Amino acid sequence: MCQNPNDYPLNPSHFEGSSEEKQTAQEVEGGFAAYTKGMKFFDPHVHMTSRTTDDYQALADAGVVAIIEPAFWLGQPRTGLASFKDYFASLVGWERFRSSQFGIKHYCTIGLNSREANNEALAEEVMDILPLFLQKEGVVGVGEIGFDDQTAAEEKYYRAQLELAKEMNLPVQVHTPHRDKKKGTERSMAIALEHGLAPHMVVIDHNNEETVKSVLDQGFYAAFTIYPFTKMGNERMVEIVKQYGSERIMVNSAADWGISDPLAIPKTAALMKIKGISEADIQKVTYQNALDSFAQSGQINEADFIHGLEIDQSLKFNGNTVLRGGQAPRVDKNSIFIR
Amino acid sequence: MTTAELIYQSITSLANPTELAWIEEKRDADAKGLALAFVMVPRKVSKTPIQKDLGLLTGWNWQHGTVDQLVRVYFLLQLADKQEGKSQIETLFDTAEMNELVALYRALPALIKPEIWLHRATDAVRSNMGPVFDAIAFGNPYPKTYFSELAWNQLVLKCIFNDKPIHLIEGLDERANQALADTLADFAQERWSAGRRVPSQVWRLIREFDTKSKKQDLERLAASPDPNDQIAAQLVLNYSPLEAWKVLEKEETAY
Repeated sequence: MCQNPNDYPLNPSHFEGSSEEKQTAQEVEGGFAAYTKGMKFFDPHVHMTSRTTDDYQALADAGVVAIIEPAFWLGQPRTGLASFKDYFASLVGWERFRSSQFGIKHYCTIGLNSREANNEALAEEVMDILPLFLQKEGVVGVGEIGFDDQTAAEEKYYRAQLELAKEMNLPVQVHTPHRDKKKGTERSMAIALEHGLAPHMVVIDHNNEETVKSVLDQGFYAAFTIYPFTKMGNERMVEIVKQYGSERIMVNSAADWGISDPLAIPKTAALMKIKGISEADIQKVTYQNALDSFAQSGQINEADFIHGLEIDQSLKFNGNTVLRGGQAPRVDKNSIFIR
Repeated sequence: MTTAELIYQSITSLANPTELAWIEEKRDADAKGLALAFVMVPRKVSKTPIQKDLGLLTGWNWQHGTVDQLVRVYFLLQLADKQEGKSQIETLFDTAEMNELVALYRALPALIKPEIWLHRATDAVRSNMGPVFDAIAFGNPYPKTYFSELAWNQLVLKCIFNDKPIHLIEGLDERANQALADTLADFAQERWSAGRRVPSQVWRLIREFDTKSKKQDLERLAASPDPNDQIAAQLVLNYSPLEAWKVLEKEETAY
């Protein structure tokens, strides 16, 4: 990308920092954790279903205490309602439990993603079971929904799900398209307003330099996905926070089955610190704004995770649970012995 | 009084007036309304620990339960009596999040025709979610009453395999059997080979049965540096009554 060390000095396409900043950036390569000690992070968009236990362990080590997993396209199109149902159930069931074993509080948003909205017969059936899942404990919004190819079917189910969100008073997590992004983002916001949703209940996701101003000006939350190649790099993200501040801005990893990085948030926080952004602003964009926006669902209690994952009394039987002391036993990855 | 009425009586002493008003409004709903009310309980009812024996069914221990769980069980009992009750409960199982599964499994012994839920109950034993396994295994009289010997043995074995305390299983001693004793003797041998051990109280399940290795196993326990193992050996050799095993009713490490 624009940080190719060979052409960097000649072509600073996005990063316009001082030579001093550039020097720092080169010196600190690789050791982000030294800059994020004591920080806690909330990743409001990460697809853990597609990730391994190593990722959970790395997230916990890096200070990520809570995550939101939006329902999305699994890569392989689903052909029947049962696979949607099982997927939604796994987001509130098995994946939530798996996460808890690593001391990370797991929430999710439930919705029909834009891609699969194009299979209309199936989409109708999915719409029928959505209300049941949206009422479940720990479901913090409708998501991720919105446009992909910007077809009529996508619009139809985007609108229908906005109505559901309004009815249930839940936040909405809006996926904006990769292609024709600017128009797609404007259209997504206009439709949400048309349906009477309050902008503070809507998180517009996958923003970039071209979309952010309009999203913030209209009162929506603006999420940025730090994802190599196709979305945002974190150096660009630092520049955005420098320019727009920290109000209603949040970063996420959207880590999934693609080449992505679940540690995007702590790494971005480290870079922000190195580049002189205040800790208060870092805390807002890597934790607080995500918490505030999705806590509007009434389903997030910060006390559940801020001091480490407490064992919920309802999960505990006579002190006996897999979560001894809140965490599963850790494996020393450098040890030669496997016991 | 029916079990549902008894549960409701307990709820009136545990829930606050706002919660009670909501529960009373929902309990007369149709099957679909009851199912949705079941899902919505944590939004309306607190998770206050109950911390006392409610005296509902024999062996149905609510000391470690919470008020929201009890309310969910109450709604399930109302739902099970309806014509579409079974299919609605099947849907709840299929779409359940973890706390919902716990409430569903806690409810089984009190549902009308409990035996029709046997396939679900054995699924809970297969679950890798700790709280779900615990919901069927501990303080729940369902397995003792409805499980086949094979299913029962699987429950006990999985409990030991996962280093959970078997004395919390209802009917543990009543349903001890030769096949389980043989399996456990093999399992203890496997653990020893791997440099691990089984909790000392496991030997109470072998005490009245002859296994191929019983003599050697008891000698090994008696010579163990672990005082709990020595106690277990003595209790078996002396044909001690079950009450004497109380001293070993605790969690122990597997190493």
